[in-house]
Amino acid sequence: MDRRNALKNSGLLAGTAIAMPGLLSLLQSCKSESRLGWQPSFFTEDEATTISMLVDMILPRTDTPGALDVNVDVFIDKVIAQSYTKKDQQKMRDDIAAFNEGCKTNFGKVFHELTEDKRIAVLQAAEKSNAKFNPGIWGKSIGEQESIGFYRSLKATAIWAYITSEEIGKTVLSYDPIPGKFQACIPVGDVGNKWTF
Amino acid sequence: MANYNIDAKKELTYDAIVIGSGISGGWAAKELCGKGLKTLVLERGRIVEHVVDYPTMNLDPWDTELRGGITPEQQKKHYKAVRSGWIGTDTAHFYADDEANPYTEKKPFLWLRAHQMGGRSLLWGKQTYRWSDLDFEANAKDGHGVDWPIRYRDIEPWYTYVEKFAGISGEPLGLPQLPDSHFLPPMELNCVEKHVKNRIEKNFPGRHLIIGRCAHLTVPHNGRGQCQYRNRCGRGCPYGAYFSSNSATLPAANASGNLTIRPFSIVQSLIYDDNKERVTGVRIIDAETSEDIEFSAKIIFVNASTLGSTQILLNSKSKRFENGLGNDSGELGHNLMDHTYRVGAIGKVEGFDDKYYKGRRPNGIYIPRYWNISEETKTDKFLRGFGYQGGGYRGGNAANTESFGADFKDSILKPGPWEFFITGFAECLPYHDNQVSLNTEVLDKWGQPTLTLDAEFKENEKAANKQIQEDAVDMLQQAGLKDIIGFDNEHPPGFGVHEMGTARMGHDPKTSVLNKFNQVHAAKNVFVTDGACMTSSSCVNPSLTYMAITARAANHAVSELNKQNI
Repeated sequence: MDRRNALKNSGLLAGTAIAMPGLLSLLQSCKSESRLGWQPSFFTEDEATTISMLVDMILPRTDTPGALDVNVDVFIDKVIAQSYTKKDQQKMRDDIAAFNEGCKTNFGKVFHELTEDKRIAVLQAAEKSNAKFNPGIWGKSIGEQESIGFYRSLKATAIWAYITSEEIGKTVLSYDPIPGKFQACIPVGDVGNKWTF
Repeated sequence: MANYNIDAKKELTYDAIVIGSGISGGWAAKELCGKGLKTLVLERGRIVEHVVDYPTMNLDPWDTELRGGITPEQQKKHYKAVRSGWIGTDTAHFYADDEANPYTEKKPFLWLRAHQMGGRSLLWGKQTYRWSDLDFEANAKDGHGVDWPIRYRDIEPWYTYVEKFAGISGEPLGLPQLPDSHFLPPMELNCVEKHVKNRIEKNFPGRHLIIGRCAHLTVPHNGRGQCQYRNRCGRGCPYGAYFSSNSATLPAANASGNLTIRPFSIVQSLIYDDNKERVTGVRIIDAETSEDIEFSAKIIFVNASTLGSTQILLNSKSKRFENGLGNDSGELGHNLMDHTYRVGAIGKVEGFDDKYYKGRRPNGIYIPRYWNISEETKTDKFLRGFGYQGGGYRGGNAANTESFGADFKDSILKPGPWEFFITGFAECLPYHDNQVSLNTEVLDKWGQPTLTLDAEFKENEKAANKQIQEDAVDMLQQAGLKDIIGFDNEHPPGFGVHEMGTARMGHDPKTSVLNKFNQVHAAKNVFVTDGACMTSSSCVNPSLTYMAITARAANHAVSELNKQNI
């Protein structure tokens, strides 16, 4: 990966000091010749390849940046490494293995070795089969939440990582950290994309 | 910025001691200092100076490494409090250490604590409503608990007094069950909330949907700035736009020159002198050095939070009070209440996709109580009543959309569907067997006894919750919402974070702990004016009432002191 682009796309460029370890590992990873272009701290290279490919398919680059442009995969790896319990980390490994096992059963190969049309078929099937999130209020979901499958859970994390990245938050969504006033009812066209979180 | 006098070493004797610096302790300090009393505030945690000690107040999501997520270490430190769903990187430093400060749940109970200057006034929901005689007369009318020794007329001037200082925004409506405050201009309902309001009020005469009344400044007030609509309140507000001890009462107390605030001071007990037959002071443990220190004062205000205050009284044993200070009635620790929480309905609103809003309003809507407020609204299903909070916003969960790829990505950048929810808060009756007791087996980090919590919602609260959900679904249906989901998370007490009772006020020393001015019946220089004093729970948020009751009690305390009655 080109180092300049890595920096530009990292979303960590103007980050605080505590974001530096991520930046450093990103730079270091540029030296190694892995097919990922970055060095995971939790995932194995195969797992990371699966995750990168999945988030790229869910949120591809268009005229706006895609998941990989803002390092959604790198961030997911970091979140799992730093904030998951050992038990949840193991579950993530098991889930990825089961996901790839499913691909093998249906199409004879693990996810990242499948052709694009087969990978699309896998995601379409997962969209149908995975349970959905209950709505939440005040930081918790309401009612009894059915267990969320690997795919939808990853999709939710990818969306969160994407919209909370600095590049998307500042340049794609409508960034307004100090609104100053509340306007209760305005045309949506006056704002454009939704407000940054 | 104010420099607080934290040096309590050179002076061990004061006119007044206030235990705790949260919402009621801050008021006690302001009032007592303002009336010329040399006042020592004992705070078990650290100093949190307004603005200076709000390290996360301006952070965007990408400014923290985990974008708000907490680490396994933080999960462990706050293993009880994380159940609330409120704790993130941005606020974790304002929550107490659950490992150092254990408590035992005989039945499930969430006890959320904030051990620093300002306490939970930094974290509260800021919904502020006056109680009415519907509340103060409730026990007398249906026979649950004991009668309140005060009525609305006793507290009304004190509501006005604290509101003028704190700054409460809202709309006057003249509803008898929810008396108007002395208001700053209200915040505005958004278009969907206005739409739902019109439909509900048309279809359900007697029900009202109003903008939340709250302790957020909508105009500059008493030297504090107005709300900037960032909705980052729980990190501390750099503008001082919401009321907290840190932004409002403690700076005022400090300005008098009469305040000393001692951090890291864990109150072990009140000192009762059996010869003088009075409380003479307070015994503390320094949280950092574990040193024992005694301070003396003419009057003591106990404002350590509902359960914190009762824990101190229970642990204050003497020959005269073998079962805890002021516990002649045996009611100390009993009649614990909270409001029910997360029960209601949510749905989608169509027809407003071309509408949006600017600003993150830190406030929602309120539907005041409408059951059992008159002969016509009486129900035999449950006693007393409930109100709803809620709101409308553009949200949705894009992960649920059965789609991925380019169009999907573009869609998540657009404002999501309009959603609207209401969630009820039901009054909890005072039950003698909903209680806390001292636990001498489980000790805290400083070797002190802890609390065992043993409380539950019972049939009346469950019946009210059933009605909350039914009515919520009904109202959202009549308002034309789609995909309506009724819910009841069946949270145990504590999740409402409105714990009340355990040292109730009453007329009779045989059945209550405090008199009508919050004085311990048998130790009249001790005042308890936080949630512990509450005789019933209303269905209405309690903090404004704590403020008013505290100001009233402080006024009485100084008057009695001047007359040499205490």
